[in-house]
Amino acid sequence: MSDNSITTQGLTKIFGHFRAVDTLNLGVNAGELFGLLGPNGAGKTTTVRMLCTLTEPTLGSATVAGFDIRKEAAAVRRSIGVVSEGVSLYKDLTIEENLKLLSTLYDIPRAESRIQELLEMFAFREKTRRLVSALSTGWAKKAMICAALLHDPKVLFLDEVTSGLDPQSAIALQDFTRRLCEQGVTVIWTTHYMGEPEKICDRVGIMFAGRLVQVGTPDELKHSVSELSLVEVETPDLSPSQLEKVKHKLSSMNQVCRVKYVESKLQVSCERRETLAEEVASALLEVGARIRTINTKDPTLEEAFIALTGGEDEIDRFMERAEQSK
Amino acid sequence: MSILSFVRDSLAVAENEFRQFRRNRSAILISLVILPFFFTASLGAGRGGAGTTFSATADIPMTFVDNDYSVASLRLWQTLESSPDFHSLTQSYDEQQSISLLGTKTIFAVIVVPKGFQNDLDNGAQARVILYTDDSEPGVSDQIQSTLTNYVQNFNPNVEVQPQLTEAEKQAISGVEIIQKGASFAGFNVGLTIVLAVVQIFAVFYEIAGGMSRERDEGTYARLLVTPIPIGAIILGKTLFDVLLSIVRTFIVLGLAIYGYGARPNTDLLTILALSLLVALVTMGLGFVASALKLGQRAVVIVEFFLILLLFAFSGLVIDKELLVGVSQTIATILPFSYAFDALRRTILLGRPVLSLTYDLEYLIASGVLFYATAFLFLSKFRERLIT
Repeated sequence: MSDNSITTQGLTKIFGHFRAVDTLNLGVNAGELFGLLGPNGAGKTTTVRMLCTLTEPTLGSATVAGFDIRKEAAAVRRSIGVVSEGVSLYKDLTIEENLKLLSTLYDIPRAESRIQELLEMFAFREKTRRLVSALSTGWAKKAMICAALLHDPKVLFLDEVTSGLDPQSAIALQDFTRRLCEQGVTVIWTTHYMGEPEKICDRVGIMFAGRLVQVGTPDELKHSVSELSLVEVETPDLSPSQLEKVKHKLSSMNQVCRVKYVESKLQVSCERRETLAEEVASALLEVGARIRTINTKDPTLEEAFIALTGGEDEIDRFMERAEQSK
Repeated sequence: MSILSFVRDSLAVAENEFRQFRRNRSAILISLVILPFFFTASLGAGRGGAGTTFSATADIPMTFVDNDYSVASLRLWQTLESSPDFHSLTQSYDEQQSISLLGTKTIFAVIVVPKGFQNDLDNGAQARVILYTDDSEPGVSDQIQSTLTNYVQNFNPNVEVQPQLTEAEKQAISGVEIIQKGASFAGFNVGLTIVLAVVQIFAVFYEIAGGMSRERDEGTYARLLVTPIPIGAIILGKTLFDVLLSIVRTFIVLGLAIYGYGARPNTDLLTILALSLLVALVTMGLGFVASALKLGQRAVVIVEFFLILLLFAFSGLVIDKELLVGVSQTIATILPFSYAFDALRRTILLGRPVLSLTYDLEYLIASGVLFYATAFLFLSKFRERLIT
């Protein structure tokens, strides 16, 4: 068994002429919460399906929990839990009945007590005897997580799992997932909501057009893209001469890229922001400008994503192509 | 994967199917109420109305010629004359004159008891009754012959009806056996063969192909595939449950046909059940193949419609498959369901022992195995086919 819970080498999936996943090389450590970020059709779900042994890769190889997805598919299936976007439980059965079926298939010893333990953990109470079809989306998602955790998987795949959830449930799910990772479970969290991985993931892989464009911690990704740190100073009545002086002063600093004055606000973009706010403030004070507020703004993962994938036009074009290929 | 865990997984899937089924009112209605009751009642009503005993031969004018003048031939005359199936039977003493009336629409059959009838019976030999029929009315000849066969064999098993065929008829059937329809037609026997096969095929295909399609749409099939369960266990589990449903359905159709519409099958219950299940299993295999081809729920209904058309046109349900010509004959020869109808008719109508139907059974079993193997290969090789 390798150190990494998941490794892929040149993993590729081709549907007809469409490369859904293109030469994916990835390593995810045990106990890591790894986010796969990308627009619809980027190849996230296909990647997860290959790692879950649902889809055979066209090329390349991968191991999950140390097992080869091609040669040891059954062992992989015993080691993973999967929660997909929809509610993939039998709707005409109760949660308990769904879990009983799965406990037989996973051959779980003392299944009854494990089921009760999970149902209590998620506070299902009287809902355990309710049909899945009668549950709200939030409770149905919880039921699916119970189903995925029933056999204590080493690797958990959460594919667009917060889709359709209210904000409170989504946050609760994010917290729960974090705790799972602390217990040593490796989690792959795929989403196209850019805010999620930024908040919870140890590392994020940005996928676009089937390719893994960049991997890193959310901070690394954000700061790998320049021109995104911004200092915004509200300074009313700045005269053109004062503005020129400030621009001159700031342009002498290496890290400053752009200075703009719009609607009483001076915007300064730069590569790094640690000392910039103070320097901008001192430059303004030097020319006698009044400062009402100073805000620093970090680049978001969304901005980093757009920058890394070639801008919004490129994303639109890609999504059109992905749509046509379906 | 041990055999034990394979069986355990299959039983878990079967139990799961049962749990879902008992909560699904529309599935219960379609599988166990609408299809068996609707088909049986429709055909039963069409054949003479609920609760009545209908005889297709009762009002057909026929003549009985006794050339033996024995006690046995007299008893046979009395048996036929007093039966509800030969209301229009008259007696004649001139065989040739009676035969000459065939084709004039005055009489449609001449039943002749030849000399030596009693002697043959006394000696334990095969006695014969000769039947001349007017075949210008489609199906009349078959009905008369099968009804008469039933009566004379009840009268004495050593008597056989020997139909006198025209040269054209001999030509048409040379080398093949035409299975007679309408044996014990005072009731619903032909209807029973049709209903049993059609109901099983219709219901089972819907249950398997439609069920798999629904699982694909709802993502539950993908959920199963990420567990360690082998594809074979999924197929076996679903098959086991559908076998159970098919048994219940067979009893519903049989009960309604026998007690509601007076069917009197010429074979035992076990044979009917075994054949009915064989038809169901072949259809299940076909259903799995259809699901491996990724048919959606709407497509399943459309395919089912064409399947029923195929059954009616080429399986011998309306026209004996041996009488079909050209492409239709080829289709009938390939179509496994035509062998299913054959087998059902030979047993239910003619009372043949099930083991005498070697070719029909072999073809059905081979088709079933082929369907299951194809489905298994497809579903194993292309796992993503049933994932949305």
